[in-house]
Amino acid sequence: MLGGGPRDARRTERYLDGLMEAEERGVADVPMDVDIDSAVVLAARQLRADLIRVHPSFRFEEGLAARLARTAGRMSAGLSAIEPAEQLVVRTAPAPIAPFRASGVAAWAELAPAELAPAELAAADDGIATPAAGLRKLPAFATRTPRPLIVGGVGVASAAISIGAVYVAWRWSRAAHTPMVRAVRAARSGRGDASGHGRRAGVLHGILGVTS
Amino acid sequence: MSRTVFGTSEETARPARLDRDRGLVEAARRDPACFDALYRKYLAQVYSYAFYELRDHHAAEDATERVFMQAMTGLPRFEERADSFVGAGSGGDVSADASTFRVWLFRIARNVVANERRRDRRRPVAPLEDAQGLAAADDVVEAVAAREAGGAAWQAVARLPEDRRRAVVLRFVDEMSTAEIAEVLGRSEGAVRVLLHRALRSVAADLRGRLS
Repeated sequence: MLGGGPRDARRTERYLDGLMEAEERGVADVPMDVDIDSAVVLAARQLRADLIRVHPSFRFEEGLAARLARTAGRMSAGLSAIEPAEQLVVRTAPAPIAPFRASGVAAWAELAPAELAPAELAAADDGIATPAAGLRKLPAFATRTPRPLIVGGVGVASAAISIGAVYVAWRWSRAAHTPMVRAVRAARSGRGDASGHGRRAGVLHGILGVTS
Repeated sequence: MSRTVFGTSEETARPARLDRDRGLVEAARRDPACFDALYRKYLAQVYSYAFYELRDHHAAEDATERVFMQAMTGLPRFEERADSFVGAGSGGDVSADASTFRVWLFRIARNVVANERRRDRRRPVAPLEDAQGLAAADDVVEAVAAREAGGAAWQAVARLPEDRRRAVVLRFVDEMSTAEIAEVLGRSEGAVRVLLHRALRSVAADLRGRLS
């Protein structure tokens, strides 16, 4: 690795040190070895002039400063350094989930707290923005719901599966009210009027799906 | 930031070789909110390093954020690691400008940037501007080339092998000493000297070729 001239490399290093110091002192004269490669000197001057230090945007700087301050506050309080924004608030809705007849914004409007603005609900309708919209209203969530559930991605998936299962069950119950099924049930209930046993059997048959 | 960090008893207990950031580091360790001073001091340096390495404004911002979050949450562990940086590879001499915190911070940056580059290689993403045939406004090569002929210098640096380019950026953009670069890159000082010397010769040859 050092076969490329450690002596030359030391000369170059001395020149670079001198270049930096000269800039700091605001002088143009840079000391250099007489044996130093002039091409290296020119390249160093060119790089020194062109490789500028870049600064991020003010918005980014202040945003990250705020995030660091929040993390610092949590660390001081002995809490986890992970920001809650990386988690998600799912409200355990006390109302029945039946109103899923409505879709999109209307459905969210029925389930979401009243504080959520229409714009946030519209964002929620896009599918993913709901957690952020909810987090902006986190204090209101906490006061309205006695037991807010804070979960990560697994919890969300579980909630989605549960909601899906309820929806499928609801669809199945509706599907049973076709004219044919209503007619069969009416005929069976008519036969079962004669005795209690027949009525119970009809109910049992209805549950088991036996129509003969 | 006006709080007194070192008491008399502490000063006597400290080793003689003090990191120039030790006061800020100690303050941040006692009160994480004081990390802000270190953040403001090194933001541009870390961001520049990430920017020149990743050549993408957004990727550099992401990397910078990760670096400072990791640094702040990992600061309690810094004290034990700091001694390994002090004097290592430099015969025990630490110049007044040396900052072991900065070395530690840039080692985090190096790892974060390396992870970012690895992820990019697995999932290469082209900026939208590329698809439209436009130069990205925040592309280092394009921005510098558009500014002046000095773009040639940066393009020459961009063509350098990874380790040489990294050494050049740390030397010219972040103004690190050879000893600090050696600590950041995990190389010996001699190896870094040769890296820089060869890098300058390559840049010189590249620039000469362009001129001719």
